[in-house]
Amino acid sequence: MIRVRFHGRGGQGIKTASRILGTAAFLEGYYVQDAPLYGAERRGAPITAFDRISKEPVLERGIITNPDIIAIGDETLLNDAAANVFQGIRKGGIFFVNTHYEASHILERYCLPECKVIVHDVTDITINTVGKASVSATLAACICRITGTAGKEALINAIKKELKSIELKDETIDKNIEAAILCYDKMSEVPIETYRFNPVSGPKIIAVKHYLPPKGVAVIYAKGNTKKRKTGNWRLFKPCINYERCVRCGICFVSCPDGCISLDTDNYPVIEYANCKGCLICYEECSAKAIETKREVRTW
Amino acid sequence: MDRAKIYKNVKDINEEEFVLPGTPLCAGCGGLLALRLAYKVLGQKVVILNAAGCFTLLSTYPYTPFRSSWLYTAMACGPAGAQGIRDALDILIEKGSIPKEENLKVVVLTGDGSAYDIGLQSTSGAIHRNLDFYYICYDNEAFGNTGFQMASSSPYGSRTGTTQPSDAYPMATEQQKKDLFEIWRAHKPPYMATVSPAHPVDLSAKFKKASEYKGPKLFITLAPCPTGWGYGASRSNRIAKLAVECGIWPLKEAIEGKLKHTYIPKFKPVEEYLSLQGRYDHLFKPVRNDFTIKKIQKGIDRYWAPFLKLTSCKR
Repeated sequence: MIRVRFHGRGGQGIKTASRILGTAAFLEGYYVQDAPLYGAERRGAPITAFDRISKEPVLERGIITNPDIIAIGDETLLNDAAANVFQGIRKGGIFFVNTHYEASHILERYCLPECKVIVHDVTDITINTVGKASVSATLAACICRITGTAGKEALINAIKKELKSIELKDETIDKNIEAAILCYDKMSEVPIETYRFNPVSGPKIIAVKHYLPPKGVAVIYAKGNTKKRKTGNWRLFKPCINYERCVRCGICFVSCPDGCISLDTDNYPVIEYANCKGCLICYEECSAKAIETKREVRTW
Repeated sequence: MDRAKIYKNVKDINEEEFVLPGTPLCAGCGGLLALRLAYKVLGQKVVILNAAGCFTLLSTYPYTPFRSSWLYTAMACGPAGAQGIRDALDILIEKGSIPKEENLKVVVLTGDGSAYDIGLQSTSGAIHRNLDFYYICYDNEAFGNTGFQMASSSPYGSRTGTTQPSDAYPMATEQQKKDLFEIWRAHKPPYMATVSPAHPVDLSAKFKKASEYKGPKLFITLAPCPTGWGYGASRSNRIAKLAVECGIWPLKEAIEGKLKHTYIPKFKPVEEYLSLQGRYDHLFKPVRNDFTIKKIQKGIDRYWAPFLKLTSCKR
């Protein structure tokens, strides 16, 4: 059985990527199980999805802590401890990252065990072909090829089926297929040493004591500490102010939902990039066309 | 808050931030922009009572974007909790336990699921008791936090998680949007208004005006939702503006029940607003559903006719 774990950010299409991979393998005659896992947060927040692909019925359940392949949809998650992307990484495992960097850079920087790091800039291909940065079909295509679980035909049919079910337009689906084939052809099959599951004893159960509200309720005493959560990692395109064109109207300042634009002493807007989520409302609203967008690569 | 402050243009808006960046809300959230703008008028001395909804995520342990207090309640009991806090503050001030200067404004913050449906009775009770509080409803026209299921705020003709277009229901949502404003207005509270995040001056002026009244001060703000409405995050403000300009989101206020529109729109055809959003895609593709689009337009025209004293909408 091959166990695949996807990591990405909400809105990237990670859940759909796991479904496409599952459906493609299913069409090739495998037994498949796929499931996403995410919290209450949605766009931009780290999400995980799992696939189990086997020639025999899959009886294993639950989250995958010992994946054979870890597929990272957003490189910035490597620096996010809460996303826990390295969980269960082992010697001989496959670590796929959607990034501009070289594989050797990732191996060194994160001191990974001797696993096979495969890199590919899926986002770039998707933006150039589809126009949007939803990597569901392209990421699934890479993993399909690496695992060798599905051929092109099954992959195309799976993409059609899954993207139709989330009500994408036919033209968008066709572009996704085109991008997926590009990715599929760039990858090559890699032999996988699958993890042998050893039965372990059940988890230790801890009884939680009852505490009265002053002690038992989560209380935050800090003021405005969300700034420490660097939501700037969510960004794909960066708004940049051209101060020569700026007329200091203040529209961007009152249009930023996150309050990431402030005004300096001369009333010129200043963007705080550590937390700017890249919604680009400022770019759209600027009547002087003083805000440009730049695709961000190599952010970490 | 500066008592004499008048809001005439964007330059009048307070530069101080009270909702700090780094929140876990979606990029381009229209509701968050409205909250940020409202807070700039309300100031620092505020306690927020947040009924369950998207904005519950603002303060997820151990982080908070606020510089002032925030409390979390269940969906049904925002205003009931506000009554408790108001009473506690009043008693503590009267006893001299806290100085008068430390008095806080009690603000209930709820989504449309809570305001239109689940928490409606406790709101009605609080208005009836003339509780001195603010109420802000960010209306994204469905249960956005749980997968965009239909709520009684979902407009006719929109697609939600639980109302998909089908042969039997080509318009998707069959029901009309509940008119919460009129339900509230029947209580004749001292001040109530609708606001939009894309009209920051109008919004600020209304919150400023509300501060002059004692008793319930109620606001409904349009909250364009890129995730649920199906559009790119950068278009939030454009869609909020179009909602106002097409007349589908009237900007109005009511003092002691007396209604006044604060902005007369240009009455653009409603298609301009609908066609930008994925939740209305089924009205245009694969075949154009003229019946539903016309019905939505008629609804707008019928709403405005008595105010404009026109039989049909001018274009």
